[in-house]
Amino acid sequence: MTVQMTDRMSNRPVVTIRLASTSDELLQCYALRAAVFMGEQQCPYWEEFDGNDYSASHLMLYVDGEPAASMRVRWFSGFAKLERAIILKRYRSLGLFVPFVEWARDFAAKKGYPKAYLHGQKRLWEIFERQGFHKVNDAPFHFSDHEYGAFVADLDVPEGAPSVFSDPMLLNRPEDQLDRPGVLEKSMERGASNPHAGWNEKRAN
Amino acid sequence: MNSGVQSIAGVPVTTRLAMKMEDSLQAFAVRAACFIGELDVPFSEEFDGHDYGATHVIAYIGDEPIGTVRVRWFKSFAMCERLAVMQRFRGNQVGQLLLERCRQLAESRGCNMLYTQVLPSDTGYWEKQGWRRLVPEAMSQGGPKPIVAMVKQVDPNKPLPEVEAPEAVVLRREPTLDSRGIPVGAIAN
Repeated sequence: MTVQMTDRMSNRPVVTIRLASTSDELLQCYALRAAVFMGEQQCPYWEEFDGNDYSASHLMLYVDGEPAASMRVRWFSGFAKLERAIILKRYRSLGLFVPFVEWARDFAAKKGYPKAYLHGQKRLWEIFERQGFHKVNDAPFHFSDHEYGAFVADLDVPEGAPSVFSDPMLLNRPEDQLDRPGVLEKSMERGASNPHAGWNEKRAN
Repeated sequence: MNSGVQSIAGVPVTTRLAMKMEDSLQAFAVRAACFIGELDVPFSEEFDGHDYGATHVIAYIGDEPIGTVRVRWFKSFAMCERLAVMQRFRGNQVGQLLLERCRQLAESRGCNMLYTQVLPSDTGYWEKQGWRRLVPEAMSQGGPKPIVAMVKQVDPNKPLPEVEAPEAVVLRREPTLDSRGIPVGAIAN
């Protein structure tokens, strides 16, 4: 699900967003976060790389093919938590933040999550409120030198979002491309030869 | 010669070679913070394809990675590059400690020359640590980019032979990893 937000024929930058799905894309994500959080905001390494990166989905935004922004999404029961959202300094004047958050909300909704949740830095509260987020409560908290509020937004889960009753092959698709056949659907052409069927017999002997 | 700082504010500073994926990630994070975050270098220039044929040295204060340098191995020399120290830890000779670790590493591998390419404004930093211009300043013809090639002997008792290679050859960039042609390492002994 690559989004073209600008016309290919124009000389405006081409912006694409996708779910990081290779180790190269993950490295790009980590490098961007290190640049912004460690380089600009002096966040210690062990606070930035907090151990949750390998249980999360990472979203990458590219400007003319160059990694420009990233966001981490973690999946809890009933809500998706958007976090670690950054835009590289040189791309900050392009108005990428709002469409990037929109894309993340859309991504979560298409996976079937009815709510998006985030910890917003105080300076960004107005932007989140304009995007349909509202404060969970009035108790601000702080970590890594910043004051935060907990925000939540209701998402419009589309009909046909994944459930245990979905077509099983739909659940095997790349998660940002649930609306089109994935590589495993192509593998169905090979049929079911059950190549390991003999293994149980061996084990029994 | 003093090999650099051993502690900052009472916390020990150590160096280590990257041996695991997590270690390399720490090296990359420090470089991203310094080169992409601070100096606005594009990602694709900073991560240029040479990271997986290189040795990465990382400096730690406690368990926090605060500096790194990359060493690439050529036939006749070891190339130190991408030297980075997190901004708030600069001025503590962490760079010196990293370069000394490079020197020891080169020594243990039987290499007798360290080589680097620096910006003209940075030559003083390297000269203070015993590096010299590969080509004397007066003879330098300069390349397309204002970069100065510098070298340092690995064993203080074995001075390097004078190098006759034209600077333009020495400064040649490797266009791709598997390209043919004169290798960038074709200088000296």
